[in-house]
Amino acid sequence: MKDTKQTSVSATLAAATCSLLGSVPAAPVQAQEEPKWDFNTALLYYGEDNDRVQDLSLNILGKRYFVDDRSLTLGLTVDTLTGATPNGAIRQGVPQTFTRPSGNSAYTIPANELPLDDTFKDTRVALSAGWEQPLGRLWKTSVGFSGSFEYDYTHLGLNGGLSRDFNNRNTTVSAGLAIGRDEWDPVGGTPIPFSPMLDVGDTGNKTGTETKDVVDAVLGVTQVISRNLLVQVNYSFSNSSGYLTDPYKVLSLVDGTTGDTITRVPAPGAEGPSHEFRFERRPDDRTKHSIYTQAKYYMGGKVLDASYRYMTDDWDIDSHTLDLRLRWPVGERSYLEPHLRFYTQSEADFYTISLVDGVQLPTFASADYRLGNFDAITAGLKYGWKTRGGSEMSVRAELYQQRGSIPGNLLIGNQVGRETYPDLDAIIVQFSYRFGW
Amino acid sequence: MNKGSIAGCGIAILAALASGCSSMGVEPWERDILAREEMQLTTDPIEAAIDDHIYFSKEASSGGRGFGGGGCGCN
Repeated sequence: MKDTKQTSVSATLAAATCSLLGSVPAAPVQAQEEPKWDFNTALLYYGEDNDRVQDLSLNILGKRYFVDDRSLTLGLTVDTLTGATPNGAIRQGVPQTFTRPSGNSAYTIPANELPLDDTFKDTRVALSAGWEQPLGRLWKTSVGFSGSFEYDYTHLGLNGGLSRDFNNRNTTVSAGLAIGRDEWDPVGGTPIPFSPMLDVGDTGNKTGTETKDVVDAVLGVTQVISRNLLVQVNYSFSNSSGYLTDPYKVLSLVDGTTGDTITRVPAPGAEGPSHEFRFERRPDDRTKHSIYTQAKYYMGGKVLDASYRYMTDDWDIDSHTLDLRLRWPVGERSYLEPHLRFYTQSEADFYTISLVDGVQLPTFASADYRLGNFDAITAGLKYGWKTRGGSEMSVRAELYQQRGSIPGNLLIGNQVGRETYPDLDAIIVQFSYRFGW
Repeated sequence: MNKGSIAGCGIAILAALASGCSSMGVEPWERDILAREEMQLTTDPIEAAIDDHIYFSKEASSGGRGFGGGGCGCN
């Protein structure tokens, strides 16, 4: 009753004011702009040397704004992947034959060459959706979904975030949580860890699908230091449990003295591996911690974006990443942005390059080069410009280079001098177009 | 330095930053530069997602900025 009365009093007052001003009450004016889409799109080419992985990727991220600072974000990525990837086996002075993961055929690698599996061909479709909105004046919340679908791999995830502003909005404390479930359904089945690679057509060592669960948490503080300096510090925790092995990677089983891979003869009339290879085995749990810090510094029109990340995990991998970008305005509507990134990591405690025949196998082993000891550098340049219509475009070209080393104590006999880390050179070319709708 | 103490240090740094930050910052009318698009922490969300995905696929680390990368059986 009281509310009704108050409303009618204020309505009467408004009408009286309007008549005093000689006008009629107008419809309330929309306080905010009409809902609108903001589209970020990109076409990417990623290509590795020596016919290794090539990826052509289309990316679309649409954000629709609603009143009261609420927004919906929808994302779509389509990757088409082809090329070859190291299968984990070491080089030999003679040709080596491997059964393909499908178990339907075999491939042969020439003498002294790094064994690459060229079966790699996949299309990946990734979808994401997120909703963000303020809660009162200082809080903001978000919820999201992510899904990624490949022929042999599926990922489904949920995430949520909460942040609050403090100190006149100069400090923002945020927390986020993401959970995911991934499923492997490898071509030809999941090999039993440490089982031997079998002849073509023999699926005796293959089982069905495998899953892993991932929990990620991020806690962060963003602080305005001054008019031209902004800093963020995040702590991240990530735990993966379940099947963390790569079903396509193997290790060579070698002689303990010569270091050469033990030869093998396929069954009569069958095609199959020429040497003894064992499928890798990783622990079924991994916990990572990382500290990430980023600074944005405005220097008379130029903006320096610098970040550093330290990561450590219970597989004994430590990594450091330094990323530097300098946005340099060119004329009224365009800019150049050089980019440098430095990365270094130590090897996992179960990383090795071969298994020794006749001795007890270790509990876990992988020869995946990505778990090895290497440094990487990225150097690139981006040029961006704004059109007269307000759209934005940019092109970037970058070189990514990995250089690694195999710890000397892992090399046996003839492996010394023959085995080297499979260094990688890749180019990244991207065209981006951002427009409103 | 074990991992537990590294994590402990990280949380302590965050707490110190949060408490020491009250004396820093700007007044609302001094936000002209901070409001510029190029001063946002993530200026290009697609490029950030692409980079996270590339490095997740090729290196043993991921995330940091956010949840980052993931969701693929990358070779």
